[in-house]
Amino acid sequence: MVTQFGRGQKSQLSAITQGTDLYIGIQVNAPGTSWDISCFGLDANDRLSDDRYFIFFNQPKSPEGSIQQLGAQSGDTESFRITLDAVPPSIHKLSFCAALDGAGSGSQITSGYFRIVVGGQEVMRYPFTGADFTSERAVMIGDVYRKGVWRVTANGQGFAGGLAELIRSFGGEVEDPAPAPPPAPAAGGFAPPPPPAGGFAPPPGGPAARPPAPAASQAPGYGQPPAPRPGYGQPPAAAAGAASPLVNLYKEPPPSQAQPVPPGAMASLTPYAENQAQGRWVQQNSKLVKVRLGEDALALRGSMVAYQGNIDFDYKSRGLRGMLEEKLTGQGLKLMTCKGQGEVFLAQDAADLHIVELGPGQKLCVNTKNVLAFDATITNEVKRIESAGIPGGGIFHFEMTGPGTIVVMTKGTPMTLPVQGPTFGDINALVAWTVGMRVSVSSQVRISRQVYHTASGESHNLQFQGMGGGHFIVVQPYEV
Amino acid sequence: MQGQLIQHYGPTPVMDRMSKHGSKIAKVVMWPGFDLFARSGSMIGYEGLIEFDPQPPEVRRLASSWATGEGVPLMTARGQGLLYLADYGKDVIVMQLTPGEAVSVNGKNILAFDASLQWGIERVKGVTMLSGMGMFNVVIRNNTQGAGWVAMVSKGNPIMLDTREAPTFVDTDALVAFTEGLSIEKRRTAGFGSMFGRGSGESFQLGFHGQGFVVVQPSEDERPHFSVRG
Repeated sequence: MVTQFGRGQKSQLSAITQGTDLYIGIQVNAPGTSWDISCFGLDANDRLSDDRYFIFFNQPKSPEGSIQQLGAQSGDTESFRITLDAVPPSIHKLSFCAALDGAGSGSQITSGYFRIVVGGQEVMRYPFTGADFTSERAVMIGDVYRKGVWRVTANGQGFAGGLAELIRSFGGEVEDPAPAPPPAPAAGGFAPPPPPAGGFAPPPGGPAARPPAPAASQAPGYGQPPAPRPGYGQPPAAAAGAASPLVNLYKEPPPSQAQPVPPGAMASLTPYAENQAQGRWVQQNSKLVKVRLGEDALALRGSMVAYQGNIDFDYKSRGLRGMLEEKLTGQGLKLMTCKGQGEVFLAQDAADLHIVELGPGQKLCVNTKNVLAFDATITNEVKRIESAGIPGGGIFHFEMTGPGTIVVMTKGTPMTLPVQGPTFGDINALVAWTVGMRVSVSSQVRISRQVYHTASGESHNLQFQGMGGGHFIVVQPYEV
Repeated sequence: MQGQLIQHYGPTPVMDRMSKHGSKIAKVVMWPGFDLFARSGSMIGYEGLIEFDPQPPEVRRLASSWATGEGVPLMTARGQGLLYLADYGKDVIVMQLTPGEAVSVNGKNILAFDASLQWGIERVKGVTMLSGMGMFNVVIRNNTQGAGWVAMVSKGNPIMLDTREAPTFVDTDALVAFTEGLSIEKRRTAGFGSMFGRGSGESFQLGFHGQGFVVVQPSEDERPHFSVRG
């Protein structure tokens, strides 16, 4: 099945194909103009830190051969072969870009596409036309990038300054300014302002290295009025020549992006399609987790939102001791057992979910309120941090012991604080912490909850002190 | 003035009848003759000349089919301009229906749809009898020759499950929308004992199978939020 992508659309690669040997074909039809298509292998900061991963006609192969340029074939203007398994871990993003060679602009593109073919089957296609572009002289067409898993995005963003600006935005050097297209979107013949001298390495962060973009607005008479383009391609701040974090925008597109919706309800909903990745626990989106049953799993009662297959949900009896614990501590997990064959989708109150894998014997303490689900192979035990003055006489939590997987839920994006010196966490915001730390209660620090009339005025913080490395605590931006 | 807020959140280019601004705002291009039904009080801003009718005759006619407190409060919007809609920070899903397509959207999750589409409000079969409360869906069918647009909301990031792969069972509180025409099956997963307080909390689901999809939201929160709205 060919998945149609719209501009700006993103997806996990696994939702499209399970293959890792990709053929990427790019077609650019632009009569009268010539476009060079290249692939940039960028590091985690979207920088071209290793020149050997700039794959273009002069360097058609990366050192280990995971990225190869194949040339024009079967209708594609340019094609690449990507062996994802062999791409070195330092390379986080493969950005496929087209840059104009000579005069012209992006609006002269009549048609084109970016497609992924796996095993002879086309699995993804992102079509574009010149209407998507105006005066761009270089276009980032599509990206295959790593964020946990491999993902693909139909980028479609342009650079008026052409290849030189594109390379600089990746932090690369333009050694020979002569072949680089003029950085102003003016027609040929217009003498461009000289680009920065050869060998000039721009500092990271980019703005200083930006070519004189305002030159565009200084030469309005050149057939292509630099009409203020709408939000996506070029933020107004950049057009105004202000020192804007332009490069950051390409890492995280601004939230005000519009995505054209292809016809059909199913196509409209493609961004929300199920993540078909293999594995027992699969994160569907930040708020949904899928578990493949076979072996039993335990989940918070009422957290099932959907399932496929033949599955039973049973009340989890914790035995007499468990029930006593529950009564004494008020910390009983209201759990159910999911049994059967199939897939269960779990979520709770749109909380953010996080999958934590524990190896055999590894332990993690988790606040009871933050447990959504875990493997039946995990043993959990109620523990107590004792201290006078705490309501209830202590703090109860769960100590989970592997092997297995836990799904932890947080309200909002959590923060993991490594414990080096003494580290404090509000009892109400604590989500999880490693075992083996010295924990003490300090109640004299009255920071939180003091502004409310109804607050008791007693605020407890836990102080953690870790011996050795690897200790951490997790807090959420929401106090229960 | 400088700042991310002012420089980077400007209006996006108009591309379709409906599009999203960020993930939580729906943007609708309005022009005369193409009216829109929208959830009452969901307008957060507009430009141009748009007028709203909170009690359109088309909706009043159907009022008798709604039960107390439930149902789908709708208003009509007509005019020319750009209309921005949102529903208490819920995620927005924009969907285009090709001619002949039909979806059934939970009344709580409907945000807006083209007035040219054929629509009706109906109880989801089976839900009333078992859970004691009705579930009202807006069934929207595209009988026109062109594209029809529907905007829905979901509390948290939604997921679309393909019912062609396998019969899909959904908690009724998490159900957002499904393709009209899927065969629906009631299912009780827990034994009889679970009816009395010790249940797994998952005693009752709706099963869907056939050619289509089900959209599910990651929340089962049933608390009514601000039922009084403009």
